[in-house]
This record gives sequence, structure tokens and C-alpha cells, in this order.
Amino acid sequence: MPALFILIPLLSLMLLNLPFGLMRRLIYGWGILLCLAQFFSVIYLPLGLWGRDLGVLAPFFKLDLGVDNFTRLMLICIGIVSFTAIFLVRYLILEEGKRFNFLSLLFLALIGLNGVVLVEDIFSLYVFLEVVTVCSFIIIAFSRRPDALEGAFKYVILSGIGSMMLLAAIALIFIFSGSTNFIELSAAVKALPHNWLMNFALALFLSGLLIKSGMVPFHGWLADAYTAAGPVGSIFLAGIITKTVGIYALMRVVIAVFGFSAGLIQVLLFVGALSIVVGALLALAQDDFKRMLAYSSISQVGYILLGFGCGSAFGFIAACFHLFNHAIFKSLLFVNSAALEQSTGSRDMRSMGGLAQKMPFTGITSIIGALSAAGLPPLAGFWSKLLIILALWFSGHFLYAAIAVIASLLTLSYMLSMQRKVFFGELAIGMENIREARFGLLFPAILLALIIVLIGVSAPFWIKL
Amino acid sequence: MILLLPILIPLAAALVILVIPKRFSALRAMFCLAASGLVMLICFSLFGKAKVCALAPIGFGIELTFLLYQFNGFILAASAVFTFLIALYCCGFLNDKKDLSKFFSYLLFAAGFVNGAVLADNLVVMLFFWEGLLLLIFAMIAQGGLAAYKSAIKAFVIIGISDLCLMVGIALVGKLSGSLNISQVRLGVTPLAGLAFIMLMIGAISKAGAMPFHSWIPDAAIDAPLPFMTYFPGALEKLLGIYFLARITLDMFQLGKDSALGLVLMVIGAVTILAAVMMALIQKDYKRLLSYHAISQVGYMLLGIGTCLPIGIIGGLFHMLNNAIYKSCLFLSAGAVERQAGTTDLKKLGGLAKVMPLTFGCFFIAALSISGVPPFNGFFSKELIYDAALERGAIFYWAAAVGSFFTALSFLKLGHAVYGAPLNFSNLATSAEARSENASAKADKVRVKEAPFAMLLPMFLLSAACIFFGLFYRLPLKHFFQPALNPAFFKVHPLNFALSPSLVLITLIILSASVLYHLAAARKKQDSFTAADLIHHAPYLSGVFQKAEAGTFDPYELGLKFSGAFSALLFRLDQAIDWFYNRLSVKGAYLLANSLSKIHSGNYVLYLSWSLIGMLGVILCLLYLS
Repeated sequence: MPALFILIPLLSLMLLNLPFGLMRRLIYGWGILLCLAQFFSVIYLPLGLWGRDLGVLAPFFKLDLGVDNFTRLMLICIGIVSFTAIFLVRYLILEEGKRFNFLSLLFLALIGLNGVVLVEDIFSLYVFLEVVTVCSFIIIAFSRRPDALEGAFKYVILSGIGSMMLLAAIALIFIFSGSTNFIELSAAVKALPHNWLMNFALALFLSGLLIKSGMVPFHGWLADAYTAAGPVGSIFLAGIITKTVGIYALMRVVIAVFGFSAGLIQVLLFVGALSIVVGALLALAQDDFKRMLAYSSISQVGYILLGFGCGSAFGFIAACFHLFNHAIFKSLLFVNSAALEQSTGSRDMRSMGGLAQKMPFTGITSIIGALSAAGLPPLAGFWSKLLIILALWFSGHFLYAAIAVIASLLTLSYMLSMQRKVFFGELAIGMENIREARFGLLFPAILLALIIVLIGVSAPFWIKL
Repeated sequence: MILLLPILIPLAAALVILVIPKRFSALRAMFCLAASGLVMLICFSLFGKAKVCALAPIGFGIELTFLLYQFNGFILAASAVFTFLIALYCCGFLNDKKDLSKFFSYLLFAAGFVNGAVLADNLVVMLFFWEGLLLLIFAMIAQGGLAAYKSAIKAFVIIGISDLCLMVGIALVGKLSGSLNISQVRLGVTPLAGLAFIMLMIGAISKAGAMPFHSWIPDAAIDAPLPFMTYFPGALEKLLGIYFLARITLDMFQLGKDSALGLVLMVIGAVTILAAVMMALIQKDYKRLLSYHAISQVGYMLLGIGTCLPIGIIGGLFHMLNNAIYKSCLFLSAGAVERQAGTTDLKKLGGLAKVMPLTFGCFFIAALSISGVPPFNGFFSKELIYDAALERGAIFYWAAAVGSFFTALSFLKLGHAVYGAPLNFSNLATSAEARSENASAKADKVRVKEAPFAMLLPMFLLSAACIFFGLFYRLPLKHFFQPALNPAFFKVHPLNFALSPSLVLITLIILSASVLYHLAAARKKQDSFTAADLIHHAPYLSGVFQKAEAGTFDPYELGLKFSGAFSALLFRLDQAIDWFYNRLSVKGAYLLANSLSKIHSGNYVLYLSWSLIGMLGVILCLLYLS
């Protein structure tokens, strides 16, 4: 049954790409429908159905798939962000042929993402990771402008190195276990607790995934890639791809296979804290709206890593919560950046000012997103950051808890200085004729902002420590 | 429920007075007089009875319980009498001062709060009324005009701080004994209980006006309306403060003869007597001089109660009553002089005995009484205190005796300067001109007349009381004060209140010495007004006096200086913190951010090498730590 999340998009992609363009016009509506279907089926489908196999199709499709709540959370995130991205394609990519190609890419990426989330086999994981990564190359380079090509090139190089590390690690692990299934791998790891080669494999695996998630100091590609990708591409990249390919895969493999060791916890915490601080400082120095968001993304993912690095169940839950929140508010902010770019034709924050008068909806939604990122109550981001800090505190990592608190001040400072430069104050010269973006660009922003506010306000009622 | 009447009637009447329009100020005065008369009658009818009135408890140990017994029934009656007399006096004093029309309302509010504080059995409820008085003191002093605000704030701060101590003490008592009801609290001698006692004592004695919580009183004497001075520092605060002191020493803590806490009280008392009387001696203003005596006399009461001997306690309480009587009489005479002559400056006054004979008569009786001349009431209470003090230590006795010498001396000087010396019309004229609107009045036409009847009557009554309680001194001792002592604790063998002949003799010698000294000094200086200057300008002492007058020893001024220095320090600290947050951290963050962003040159080889270094780091870390 979970295989349907991979099979349906795959089949529909094949059908839509039938020769002579018979079904090409349906792709936009079908894509939105798919995302909505994914979202609602995860929420409303009874648990009993998830365990069913595919019946007659089963012999043709042999993949180790498993579903737990973490998977379901990721499926929901993928649904929401993909919906946002696909919805915006219609308004941001106007040429018919290009739009079809882009949407096909998004379908492919969706298949890959669902696959990464669902598989329970380390090699299949690698395969789906590569599917997503290759899609990302093309998404980044889609506009074929020099900077897009440069960004894609950096991503190709670094991600290629990362993939290499992953493959090497898988090969090493395979030596010991003779299998690639998570459960058998886990047993093999337990049988050899202090084997240096196993640790070496883990280190390689970790490094590869850290490159893909763009943590400091593996982050070189990230800002260029996010900035160079088109508006939709950056939403998809920042909102879900790097989260799934990097962080989700890391969390899943550590939990299912390697388990926490003292060294691993130290590495995760250190890299997380470093990413938070360096990312936030870099974001502070940017003048380009999307570049600022890209660095902020590094910083926020650092929080997720920090929460996960506690090694406790509490920390893991907090990290998952922040993962979800980050997907929402970062998508929202990128939607805002798309609207800004559409209206003003620029991303340079120095040339903007006072735009809240002209673009009230973009202004309001962006401040909701920014404050959620900065962790201000009662928005959703506050609760997840609070939980992360509490998790750090309870597991005895006081220094890291302090860093997390202080760094959230940095987050607040760059987010607010962004707001001040772009939306508040006097209207900048040359901005008199700016208009609010089209409804199509506002709708997802409002939707995402509503999610942030609703989750934030209702959080005290369902968070139970 | 009848116990609530002395509290509620004045409060209700005060509210009514507030809504009476300003035009009917006479109506306000009459209404105030009527209400205070009614309260006085009720309090008289309650005297000598024992009643309990318990309303529904509020919770947290706070119970609305009001308790009446012999002793606080007496305090209740005494305060009601004073309220009535002051109200009567105000009818004369305040008539020509329109801006004081709210005074009647405040007077009744104060009466209600005092009655509440005296009747309340629960410490928290008592504190509620006690704090209400704080507000009223502020409001009443502030009635004296813009200049009075500074004094009002000073009073507010000093009393507020001591009330805070009281609050802490009450919390400690509640914690230690588990009950907040005075009738149930019995605390032994432990360090924490000692602290609680000190805290409660600070609240009580600062209400009574002992040092070092006195310094607002002389300032207020100049600025505040005179009826306030009479009513509060003169009468009610003594009654209330000493009443509460008696409650804590006799009922709640039951200090024994060998108690160190009693010693503390005695030391405070002795110091207060001497320091305040020395300050009083050098004053050049009628009201300010009296205000220092109001402080000094508290010392006798503390000394008496601090001896922890039945005779001393009864003497202290008797002195409380006597002091309230003669001190208010003296203040009222000052008010009469101020109203008729237009000034209270001793330099300008003189020879008033001829033109204001009745006022002078009252002043004379009260002055004899405060100096402790037999057979006026002050003599008997002081003798009782001397007796007890001598038993506890000769030094306390001599402090009290020397204090008595200077008291007599300063009243000789005051009486001589105001009433005795030749009438100095030219001086009076200038001040009277400043007061009256027809400035064209010529100097020799200014006639100082006797005070109006409404002002004289309270003075008559009070001076009559001085004589009465002197002649029949056993009466109040037996009926008012002996019931305050817990018979089970003091195991009273019948007290006969016999005076020790040798002590009486010493007192008489001291008094005659002060008269002789004054006469000699006045002759030498050729002027009664500067008679005390020999002491004022004595070597060594003059420097101390100068500093004291400049407020060097005033705890309030010291506190202000300290808080000024402290806030300057905090300001510096704040600036440093500001600098840290607004300059250093922002600059540092941007410097760091910009240099970090410069490292990101966009060169993928560089990025790649970072990644590889990171990978090495991860590998090393995992291999090393696992």
C-alpha cells in the first residue's frame, strides 16, 4: 500500500508523457490533485490500510517499504510543499513547454522524495536520493542563465562527492552485514559495537548526508544553488528537497541502523551549533533576499540537527517538529521572495523599503514567517525551538542550549532587519508604482501563514511534556 | 457587630464630607464634629467591655476578627476624644483657610483607620488599616501646599520603609506561629522570633516616632497644617504605635525581665530621649521645637516598656496618654499663636502672655506637665519610669533624668521667648502684614487678640486633663493600664504605685537646677530667646549641632545620598550594558558576519576543501570517541 505513493506519480508521469502530447494539458491539475491526495490520505487513511500489500501487483514491485509516524509527517510535508510549488508554477513559468517540463521534473522529484521517505533499505535509499539529486540539478539549472549553471555545477560537484561517500559507506557496511536491509544492518552494527571500520563507514555516510543537507562546513554549494534556482525551484529545494535528502535520511539511518554513540552525538551537536551560528551570521551580512533566506535555512536546519543530536526521544520529537515548521515557514518566505521578485523585479534588499504599504499581504505573511523562524510566541516556530532547547537542557547539554538561545537572537536580528529594509519605513525611491502580487502568488502564502498561526496557537493544547 | 461602628461611621462620614460642595464648608465642619462626637459616644459606651466580632474568614490565615477588651477599649476611647477635640479646634483654625477644606474628611478617615487598627485582632487586617494611615499622612501633609510635598514624600518614604519592616515581621510571625491572630500568637525566644520581634518593633516605634524614624516629623512641623501635627505625631501615632508595641511585647512575645530585646528597646529609648531633646533645645521655631519633643517623649515610653517590669510598662503606657494630652495641648497653643500672631518664629514672638492670657495659661500647665513638675500628670508617669529604669540600670535612669533637665530647660526658653519677653510689635507687624491682605495696616495698629473659643475649648479640656490625671493618678493606672498586663504572666502582686522619695527629690533638684540655669543664661545673654545658645555654641557640641541641623545624621538624607550614589553606579552599569548590547555585540556580529561572508568567495574548490576537511573531522571524531 505505501508503494502507491511511488507508483501513482510514476504511472501518471508515464501517461502524461505519452507521445503526441495527448495528456499534456492535464499535468497541472493532476499534479495539484496528487499533492492534495497525498496530504489527505496520510491524515485520513485508516491505519489498517497502510499494512496491506499490493495484491496482484506485489510480485512486480519488490521494495522494502515501511511506514511510521516520522514517515507520515514527512509525507505531509512533501504534500504541502509540493502543492505550493506546483500551484505557483502556473504563475511563475509562463511558457507552455517549459512549464510542462518543469512540472514533469517536479513529479520525478516527488517520486524520489516519497521513495526516500518510505524505503527501509539502505541501497534503495541511495537510489532514491540520487533520483532527487539529479532532479535538483536540473531544477537549479532550469533557467540556463550563467549563475544558474554555476550554482548547479557546484551542487553537482559537491553532491557527487557526497554520493560517492554514501556509496563507499554502503559498500563497507555490506562487507559486514551481507545485506542492505535496515533491520539486518542494525543487527550487524550491534554485533560489532566498536569496530573502527564500521565507525569509518558511519563517518563517511554522515559526511555524505551532511553535504546533501548543506551543514557547515559542507554548505558551500547551498547559497549559490538556492539563489540561482528559479522562484519555484528554490521553494522546492529549500522547503523539502534538502530536508528530505539530507536531514531525514540522516535521522532515519542513525535511528534505524547505527544508533547513537557518544562520538556521534558530539559530531551532531557540534555541526548543528556551528551551522546555527555561522548560518545566522552569514544571513546577517546578506543584501540579497533569497541569499539571506538560504543562509537562514542553514541556521534553521542546524536547530533540527541540534535537537536530534540530544540522542533522546524528546530531542527527536522536537527535531521532527522543527523540521515540519521549517518546511512551512521557509516555503512561505520563499513564496514571499517570489512575490517580491515578481513585483519589484529585484532581490536586492537595499533598493527596497516601505513595501508593506504597497504589498500588505506579502508583508503580513512574511512577518509571520520571519517571526516563526525567529521563534517568537505564539507562532509555531517558537514551540519547536522551545522544545529543542528544553531537550538540550534535559539531556545535559547546557552549553549548546545556551548557544541555541543566543543564536535565536541572531535569527531575530536578521529577520527583523530584513523586515525593516524591505517592508517597513519610508517607501523607497522608484517603488511608487509597485503593486501587490497576483492572487496566485498570495494564496499559498496565506495558506502557509495560516498553518503557522494555527499550529502555534493550538500547540499548548496538544504538546504534552 | 457594634465593634464595626467605630470603624465604619467615620469612614462613611468622611465619604459624605467629600461630596459636600465646597461652598458649604461650615456644613462640612459641623458634620465632621457631629460624626466624631457620635463615635466618641459609642467608644465611651464600649469602654470596659469585652466583645468579639468575627466575620467570614478571607483565607490564607486572614480572618476579619475584631476584638475588644479593657486596654484597647481605652485606646479607642482616647483616640475618639482626640478626634473630637481636633475637629472642634479645626472649626476655629481652618475657617479662614479654604484650601484645607478636605482636612475634615481626612481626619475622619484617619479616625476610622486608627480604630480599625486598634480593634483588629488579625495582623494582616491591622496592617491594612495601618497602611491606610500612611496614605492619609501623605495626603494631610500635602494639604500644607506645594512646599509641603517634599516633607510629605519624606514622610511617605520613611513610614513606608518601616511599614515594610512591619510587613516582613508579620509574615515571619505567621510563618513561625502558624497563626496571624494576635490573640493566638505566642512566640518564644529563638533567633528567628527575635528577628520577627525587631521587625514588628520597628513598625511600632516608627509609628510612635522614635529615632531613627523620626526625621520627617520636624520637617512636617513646618510645612504641614498644624491640626495634622497635633493629631498625628502629637496624639494618635503615639497611641497607636505604643499600643502595638505593648501588644507585641506583652502579648505576642511576652518579654521577660532578662530579655535582650527589652534591652534593645531601652537603648533606643534612651538615645531617643537625649538626642531629640538636645535638638529641641536649639530650635528657633515654636512648632519645630515641639516636634522634637514629640520625638523625645517617645523615648520615655520605650524606656518604660523596655524595662519589662510591670511598673515600667504601666509607667510607659501612662506616659503615652499624658504625652498625647499635653503634647496636643502644646501644639494647639502653637496653632493659636500662629493664627493670631501670624508666625511661630521665636525671634519675632514675645510678650504674648498679656494679649493671649488664656492660651498662655494652657501652655503653662502643659509645659509644667511635660517637664515633669509635680503634681501634674507628666510627673507621675516619669517617676514610674525612673523607678523601673533605675532597677534595670543606673545609666538608663540618668539618661532619662538628664533628658528631663533639658526638657525643662527648653520649655523655659520657649515660654520665656513667646510669652514672657517684651512684646515686639515691629517684628510681628511684618509677619502679620505678610499674612493679612490689607498691607497698609500700620505697625502700631496691629493688635494680637486672644484665640477664638472653638480653639480655646480643646486646650482648656486638655490642660484640665493634665491636672486631673495628675491629682488622681491612681485612677487611670488602675483602670486603663493595669488591664494591659497579662496577669498570668506578670503574677501581679498588687501594685501600690508608691513614689520613691529619693527619686522625687532628685527630680525636684534637677528641675530647680534647670530654672536656675535658665535664669542665669538669660541674664548673661540679655535675651530669653538666645538663652540656650550657651549650650548650642559650646565647644565640641556646636559642630555636632551644625551637622545635625544640616541633616547629616538624618537617615532619610543618608538614604537619599546612598541611593543617589547607588543609582549613579547603576546608571554607569546600565551604560556599560547598553554599550555591550548596542555597540559591542552588534559591531562584533557584523564584523564576524562580513568577514565570514568574505571567505565565501564562490570558488567551488574552496567549498570542496571545506567539505573534505569537515569529513576528516567527522571521521576522526567518530574513530577517536567511539
